[in-house]
Amino acid sequence: MNRDRVSSGLFFLLGLLVCLYSLTYDLGSPVAPGSGLMPFLCGAAMCLLAVAGFTYTTLRKQRRETGSPLFKGRAWQKSALTLGALLALQFLMKPLGFTLATFLFVSFLLRVIVPQRWPVVIGVALLTAALSFLLFEVWLQAQLPRGPWGI
Amino acid sequence: MDILHNMGVGFQTALEPVNLLLCFIGVLTGTLVGVLPGIGPMAAMSLLLPTTFHITPVSAIIMLAGIYYGAMYGGSTTSILVNIPGEAASVVTCLDGYQMARQGRAGPALGIAAFASFIAGTLSTAGLMLVAPPLAQMALKFGSPEYFALIFLGLTTVTYLASGPLWKSLMMAALGLFLGCIGMDVAIGATRFAFGIVELFDGVGIVPVAMGLFGIAEVLLNVEQSMERTVLTSKVRNLLPTREDWAASLPAILRGSVLGFFLGVLPGAGPLISSFAGYAVEKRLSREPEKFGTGMIQGVAGPEAANNAATGGAFVPLLTLGIPPTAVMALLLGALIIFGVQPGPRLVAEHPQLFWGVIASMYVGNALLLVLNLPLIGMWIQILKVPYPILFPLILLFCVIGAYSLNNSITEVGIMILFGVIGYFLRKLEFEAAPLILALVLGPMLELNFRQSLAMGDGRLFFFFERPISATILAMALLLLVMPLIRGVRQRGSGSEEA
Repeated sequence: MNRDRVSSGLFFLLGLLVCLYSLTYDLGSPVAPGSGLMPFLCGAAMCLLAVAGFTYTTLRKQRRETGSPLFKGRAWQKSALTLGALLALQFLMKPLGFTLATFLFVSFLLRVIVPQRWPVVIGVALLTAALSFLLFEVWLQAQLPRGPWGI
Repeated sequence: MDILHNMGVGFQTALEPVNLLLCFIGVLTGTLVGVLPGIGPMAAMSLLLPTTFHITPVSAIIMLAGIYYGAMYGGSTTSILVNIPGEAASVVTCLDGYQMARQGRAGPALGIAAFASFIAGTLSTAGLMLVAPPLAQMALKFGSPEYFALIFLGLTTVTYLASGPLWKSLMMAALGLFLGCIGMDVAIGATRFAFGIVELFDGVGIVPVAMGLFGIAEVLLNVEQSMERTVLTSKVRNLLPTREDWAASLPAILRGSVLGFFLGVLPGAGPLISSFAGYAVEKRLSREPEKFGTGMIQGVAGPEAANNAATGGAFVPLLTLGIPPTAVMALLLGALIIFGVQPGPRLVAEHPQLFWGVIASMYVGNALLLVLNLPLIGMWIQILKVPYPILFPLILLFCVIGAYSLNNSITEVGIMILFGVIGYFLRKLEFEAAPLILALVLGPMLELNFRQSLAMGDGRLFFFFERPISATILAMALLLLVMPLIRGVRQRGSGSEEA
């Protein structure tokens, strides 16, 4: 399946959902438009554009112009691991505190994505955690989450 | 006389020690993010925005503006030395800049890029100073239909200038407009599509969305490719261009400055389009167009001048009409609104210190950048040598801190990560994020003016065409929408004739 046809299909579904949900708000009248009108118009526009995109892509495909596969030649596992690390950081920031969570996050990425030597991993992670604590927490007073150890 | 007096007020503000320091931090950060591929001014400004909540709006905007034009300077360094654009607007500088570096002329290429940026930045600031106040006066006569038409034109221009099929950029604009509907309805105060999430009651924040779409998505895409790069650093000397270099470059710099400024004013064009236009003009006017791409100094001077001039131009619609012409300006608009300052025709009169202070700081900032870019080139080269595998965890971490610091909320981090994933897939599927960001910011303004206009015109859509200014602007927007269709039909016609 061509990637543009898949994306136009997904956008059509999203547009349809937006349209249907907009109906739960008041669409109003032409003189006094309601809260639902603008999102409804956006959803309708998304549906129409999706249909246009699907047609355009289908016509192009008939002329043998197709896109390349989405993940061909790419190490998508690295993106997935990075995303996993980000989600873990999001959930660990509060219970562990910003500094420890940062240390673990940076260590994981440095060791797993393009593996660095352990001294580099520990050194960079320690330095990052310490400097970001000093910069954001102490200097800029950003009020980042503190763990059971007070940092 | 008025301008002299106002500039006096502006310089008084810009030269206050704290503002001078923040201007320096802004241009330094801007140059840094410009030098580093993979993190642009959008992500950097989003990151630093929450840290400005403790300072005055003038100081905050001085720093954020410094990041923007500083990034234009820094981007050229990476283009010339690594053949990778440090910033999107420096793509075209790679063509001749990198060739000059390969021929051992990295010094003059970096030098002329810095001087071109300085001259164009200064000239465009002068243009902003002269054009903005009368335009703001004129804009006072605009009503809701004119504002609706202008915003609509802005969105149309962005979609028209975006690369790829028109349906994709329009889809991004439609999605952005829908996201702009989330949260409080500006007209009646009811919440929409918030699903009980408190953080969404005030709408989807531009900062987490921008950091997700531009910062996180960029990193996710970079980590799955080869992260190796070669830096040409062995022969960086003679940074001051020779008399011959100046003779070849000065007309290109002046042309690039004028072209860049006016393209920057246009909604949607911005530094990227300006740099390409600057390069195209130089190539067309050259007696040796075939030599472009082989290390012509005009091919560095013209586009570098154009992209810096465009940053000054981009402030004109933002400060006078309250309409951001680019995604970065949309972020700046968001920042101004957070600080309780409503950009628009009344800004010059109601906040003269901010308006003239920011303009004066741009003169100061451009001078600071010249100092940062020439004597400190060695430092930027050392930074370029930091391997990306060590750099990207820091970029991600800064994004997380930036999103969290907005409201001290983990949910904002979640929203940023979500938009990071969305941005990753959008880039994979060849959708551009810029129209989405612009539409997200302009959406509430567009909706409010649309609804007010309908109420004014008793529900008649034709009301927009009964007023000459809105009719003209809407006609231009519709023309932009129709042009790609006409071009497509023509191309198909000529294709079938050839077949």
